[in-house]
Formats: sequence, C-alpha cells, structure tokens
Amino acid sequence: MMDVLRVVDIKKNFGGVNAVDGFAMVQAKDEITGIIGPNGAGKTTVFNLITGVYPVDFGKIWFGDRDITALPSHRITALGIARTFQNIRLFRNLTVLENLKIAYGIRIRYTLWEEMVRYPTVGRSEKEGEDLAKNYLSYFGLEKYAGSFPYNLPYGLQRRLELARALMASPKLLLLDEPGAGLNPREIRQLMETILHIQTDNHLSIIVVEHHMELVMAICTTIHVLNFGKKIAQGKPEEIQHNDAVLQAYLGDKV
Amino acid sequence: MSTVLQQLFNGISIGGVYALEAVGFGIIFNILKFSNFSHGGVVAICAYFGYFISKYFYQNFFVTLVITTVAGGFIGVIVEKLIFRPIRLKGAPLTLLLVNSITAAMLVQQFFAATLGDDYYPYPPMMKQTGLNLWTVTVSKTYVLMFAITAAVLILLTYVLKKTKIGIALRAASTDIRTPSLMGIDIDFVVSFAFFIAGVLGGITGYLLGMTYSVDPFIGSQILKGIIAAIIGGIGSLGGGCIAGLLLGGVESLLIAEIGASLTQIVIYSAIFVLLLIRPEGIAGKRVIAKA
Amino acid sequence: MAFYLKVLEITCLQTIFVLGAYLMTGLTGLFSLGQGGFVLIGAYTAAVAYLKFHLAFPVAIALAILVGSVVGFLIGIPTLRLHRDYFLLVTFGFGEMVRAALLHLAQLTGGALGIAGIPQLVGLPMILISIAVITFFIANLKRSRFGRNCIAIRDDELAASLMGIHVYGYKMRVFVLSSAITSYGGALYAFVLMFIEPNLFNWLESAKLIVITFVGGINSITGAIISSVIYYSFGEFFRFIDVWRDVLLAVAVLLVTIFRSQGIFGSWEFSLRRILRRRTKAT
Repeated sequence: MMDVLRVVDIKKNFGGVNAVDGFAMVQAKDEITGIIGPNGAGKTTVFNLITGVYPVDFGKIWFGDRDITALPSHRITALGIARTFQNIRLFRNLTVLENLKIAYGIRIRYTLWEEMVRYPTVGRSEKEGEDLAKNYLSYFGLEKYAGSFPYNLPYGLQRRLELARALMASPKLLLLDEPGAGLNPREIRQLMETILHIQTDNHLSIIVVEHHMELVMAICTTIHVLNFGKKIAQGKPEEIQHNDAVLQAYLGDKV
Repeated sequence: MSTVLQQLFNGISIGGVYALEAVGFGIIFNILKFSNFSHGGVVAICAYFGYFISKYFYQNFFVTLVITTVAGGFIGVIVEKLIFRPIRLKGAPLTLLLVNSITAAMLVQQFFAATLGDDYYPYPPMMKQTGLNLWTVTVSKTYVLMFAITAAVLILLTYVLKKTKIGIALRAASTDIRTPSLMGIDIDFVVSFAFFIAGVLGGITGYLLGMTYSVDPFIGSQILKGIIAAIIGGIGSLGGGCIAGLLLGGVESLLIAEIGASLTQIVIYSAIFVLLLIRPEGIAGKRVIAKA
Repeated sequence: MAFYLKVLEITCLQTIFVLGAYLMTGLTGLFSLGQGGFVLIGAYTAAVAYLKFHLAFPVAIALAILVGSVVGFLIGIPTLRLHRDYFLLVTFGFGEMVRAALLHLAQLTGGALGIAGIPQLVGLPMILISIAVITFFIANLKRSRFGRNCIAIRDDELAASLMGIHVYGYKMRVFVLSSAITSYGGALYAFVLMFIEPNLFNWLESAKLIVITFVGGINSITGAIISSVIYYSFGEFFRFIDVWRDVLLAVAVLLVTIFRSQGIFGSWEFSLRRILRRRTKAT
C-alpha cells in the first residue's frame, strides 16, 4: 500500500533562520496525523513547503508516486492536496457559494471559447459544481448563507466555509492549519466530530497543525512534535503526552 | 569631448531632479505600500506656486525656493488629509489608494489646463549670468544650482531619517506600520510627516523643473521619469532610487544627443523591460515572499 | 444631427476601451497604463494595412486584432510576473514606447503628422453591435469559472494558486483578451475619426479607463458601461467645458471612493433574465 505522502528531510532557511531543519514524515492512507509544537516551531512552514508556497532548500516531497518537490502550487492542488489557512483566506468579493465553486474549478472541463459563448457544456458543468457546492453547504449548515459574502459571517462559520472549500477540490490529502484557532470549547468538540466524519465519508488522509491539545490527542493516530524546525518526538498521543522532550519544549527547563 | 562632458553634466543635473522625484515617491511607497501618483500633482502645484511667487512677489531665487519648498510640504499634508486619510481610515485596499492618487494627479493636471490654459509660463530671470565656465565646459548656472540643491537636500534628508526621532519612526513604519505607536508616536502623525517630506521634495522638484523648463499643466507628468527611476532602483530602496535617477538622467541626456528623443525613449524603456525581466525587484530592491 | 451622431459613435467606441480595461482592472485587478498603446497599435495597423497596403477592410481589422493580441502576449510574458506597481509602470513604459516608435517610423506612420484621409467605413450600427458582442463575451466569462478565478486572483493571489488556479496563465489570458478588444476598438477608431496621430491615446486616457471602471464598480460590467457612456457623452456634448469635465470626473471619483468605495453600482448587474422572469411571474 503506497503512502499518501512522504516528506524526506526538508529544510528551509529564511534570512539565516532555519525555519525547517530536516523534517521528515510519512503519511499513510486514511490516517489523521497531527503536527504540534510551540509557536514559531515551523509547523505552517512545513505546510507551505508541501503545498509549494516556498521552494525547499533541501529535501524531497512525494505525493503517492509523484515527486512534487518542485511543482507550483496550483499543480499540487490539482493532484489532490487541499488546505486551509491559519489566518482565514476566503475570497472577500465572491459569495459563499462562489468561494466553494472556486475549488471545484480544477474538475471543470470546458474551454475558454465555450465559456465565452456559453456553450451548453458550460451550463451543465456549472450545475454540477453548484449541486456539489450546495451539498457541502448543507453538510456544514451554511445553506442560508449561500449568497452572502464570507466576511459577513460569524468567525466559526468562516472556518467551516474554509473547510468546505478545501473539500470541494476533492482532495486525497487534506492539510488543516490550526482549524481550531479562535473557537470555543463547544465548537472545538464539533470540529473534532466534523473532521472524523469527513475523514470517513471521503476516505481522506488528513494532517492537522494545531495548538488545541484535546483536539489533537482525540483524533490523531500519530503526532509529530516540532521545535525550532526540527522534529523532537513522534508517536501515538499517549506516548507524546509523557514525552520529556515535548514537555520541556512547551514548558521550559524548570519542569 | 567637451560636448559629451557637457551633455553628461546636464544629464546628471536633471538626474538629480529625477532622484528627488524617486525619493519623494519612494518615501510614500515605503510607508503606505502604494504608488503615489499624486506626487506629480504636488510637483505641478508647486511649480505654478513658485512661478507666481517669483513673478509677483519676490524675485530672489533662494527666498522663493524656500517659500515654495515649505508650501510644498504643507500641500503634501493637505493632499494626504483630503485624498488619502478618509479612505485609509476606512481600511481601504491599496488599489483604492492607488486609484485616488491617479485621480488626484489627473485633477491637478486638468485643473491647471482648464484655468491657466496650455500656455507655457516661464519663470522670470533670476540671475544675471547664466553661464559658468568650468574647465573646458560651459555649464548652465541653473544646472549647477539644481545639482547643488538636490545634493544638499538629499544629504539633509539622510540626516533626518537616520538621526531624528521622527525620521527613525518613519523608517520603522516602513517595515511595519504599527511600530511607531510602540515608540509613543502617533502613526497618523508619521504618515502626515511622510507626506510633508514628500511634499517638500515635490516643492523643490516643481520649482527646479519650472525654473529650468517653464511651467505648463503637464509638468506633473514629468514625475513619471522619477517613478521609473524609483522602480529601476528598486521601490523600497531610497538610495537605489537616487542612483537610478542620476543614471537615468545621464544616460538619457547622452542618448538624446546621439540618437534623438524618440529613439531614446524606446531604448530606455526596452532596457527597463529587460532589467525587470532579469531582476524583477530592481537594482537594490528586496524580493518579497508572500506568506501563507 | 451629424454632430450628435459623431458624439455617440465616439462615446460608444470609448466604451469598448472601457470594457477592455474592465476585464483587466475590474475583474482581475491588473492596473495597466498601457491600454493606449493597444489603441494605437490597432488604429495604425488597420489604417496602414488599408491605406498603404490596400488590404480589404475586414482584413485590416482582423490584422489589427491579431497584431494587438500578439504584442499583448509578448509584453505579457515578462511583465505579468511583476508586482502590481511595477506592472503599472512597465505598462506605462509600453504605452510610451509605442508612441515613440510611431513617431520614429515616420515613413510608415507619418510620424508626428499622423495619418489623415482614412475613409469613414465604421458607423454607429457596427459599433453598437461590437459593444453587444463584447459585452456578451465578458458577461459570460464573468459568470463562469473564468470570472470567478479572476476575482479570486484579484482578491488573494496566493490563496487562488492554492485552490488550483494557474495565476500566471489566467493573467496572460486576460491580458491577451484585453489587448485584442482594445486593438479592435482602436482599429474601429481609425475609421471613425478619419485621422490618427501618436498622441491620440496617452497614459492619462488609459488612467481614465481605470478610474471610470472604479467609479462604475469593479464588480459590475453594467456599471462600467453606464459610467463610460455618461462620462464620454457628457464631455462631448459639453465641449466648451471639456477640460472641466475631467476635473469634475476626478472630483466625482474621489467622492465615490470616499463615500461608496464599492463603486456606484457595486455588484449590481443588469440581467435580462431577471426582467423576463418578472414578466412571466406577472402574467
């Protein structure tokens, strides 16, 4: 069984600071993995390297049997990796429904000429995208916001919308960057269930970067711990909770 | 040989003005991160202002220059308060600031075209002898003055930016617009100060350009040369903009003498295309990496 | 009567240029001060092809569109990767380069004297049909994937690329389409004005296109068209206040950006479907 993702010894340096210093991981199919670590440990940078936002200085990234290390972001997304962002990045001038349709764009087959004259294939494709989008809207309880603009929504719903949008891209691997940021405990519990549901419903592989420990410990099968760009621990949630190096990284030397 | 030297010297003097424009443009770009086309409008207003002052009030070169410069500073601040502050406070995207600046430049240009017409207004003669003999070349006194004033202003500006508290606040704001408030300085004040400096530079530019070329409504479009210098120098680097301005002036002058004005334009713009192709951030600019 | 007809023709032609600018600036957020360059390329290609090389009128127009698109593609290759402000200035440079080139190649183009004696082969019907067709194309693009992707690029390029959008490719498509439309308009322009010269469309005119687009509302094609019609017809009808027209436009734009920053029309679009639906509901 081929691994979904293989990251081999990636490094990234920004102006003299090693943001990521030799990180490696393997993600199996249908797995939910967590990446945790203190602020500035390099977690989001790892996501950015995987999705092609920055080029790696060193190392390789394999998605299935493809080397995606040097691919541009849009190709990586088209191959099946979708993500959400630490700071919500919804498109402010597109409605909620249109935000969802954006991610569906890679599945669309009509050409520019057909678009310009509104050939029947365009109408059909648009309908398919719209139906799929409406499905996700009701799945996430956002139906009545279809025509609203994203930044008019309450924060918790914006986060759900981002999640829905990522799913519209029909990914095989989903990267969630601090999906729980800014949510209250009840919303965190809902998020936990949501992530577990979408994993089983869509047969996805998911990697979560998070600070909310209860979320990570509850849903992840494996957890990687980063500090100063290096992995300091890896294992099952129970193992991580009792790992000295991890405690030291979070709480400091005087433990 | 002496004609080449002459061309070169004239070119560098004009280049000094381009450098002033580039810096005036660059200061606003550094702080507020948008291209301030209204700088051309400030230059134009000051050019006309300088003309009227020197024609109707006082004929002394330095006095009128100082008056125009100070006026320029205040005009810059007025522009900021009228055109940019209202939308900045509403959290306008950078594109809107850009559009407003273009609109303001258009407003000023067309206003002068409407009120004073397309005529050229030459500054009254302010000195007796216009030529100076320097070694083998005869340089125009105006060009010498232009160069000297530009140099003095830029040196003074460097001092202000490096040694005064407000100057440092300005540079801090360029990196992150919130830092001056950490120093106890009101960010709105810093922004106004930036426009004041840009306005002062604009005032000098307008005066020098008007004095050298006479004033017409399109004088504001001359600013575009300076903006081009700012780009080649790398928007964000004031020093780079300076050097680029001088280079541009010198090269342009030499080229015009050799191949004529229209061909010079083509050559220069093509060169800029090629430069930006190879080095999109300009000579001294920094590569900006977007973060997710 | 002939005067009013001419005014209408010129107003509608300018609207074609505004539509080209809408595609670039309104939809995709690319600020170009070089649209004038394409107007000139279209006008001169068509005029020279027709007068000097005696090509048939439709061929001359087609050639103008072709040359404009190719130049757009070539200019786009290096410039579309640039930061927005750099792009603005390089396109300005492009516009100036075109003017300088036209002045220089005086043998072919008549230099500063321009080309006179172009017959009037384009009338109001052709212009109106052109506007209808172009609007049809752009409206269709706007409401399908192309339009959404462009707006996404305008809003957040990075997020757009992470949603699978090939940003550079889209920008290139927009740029070439816009150049084609603008060159086409330029070609028509030559056969309406009957006289063309290099100062016909400078950077300020290109800037006006951007400004008009913003006044109308960058999310509204209807807004762009209506603003364009009002602005250009107003100026032509009130010739005696021609320069004041620009001052008034500038003031109007400043007021709009300060008090209604989404533009006068915001996101509202004229929709034939809505009108027909209301009719059928009533019956």
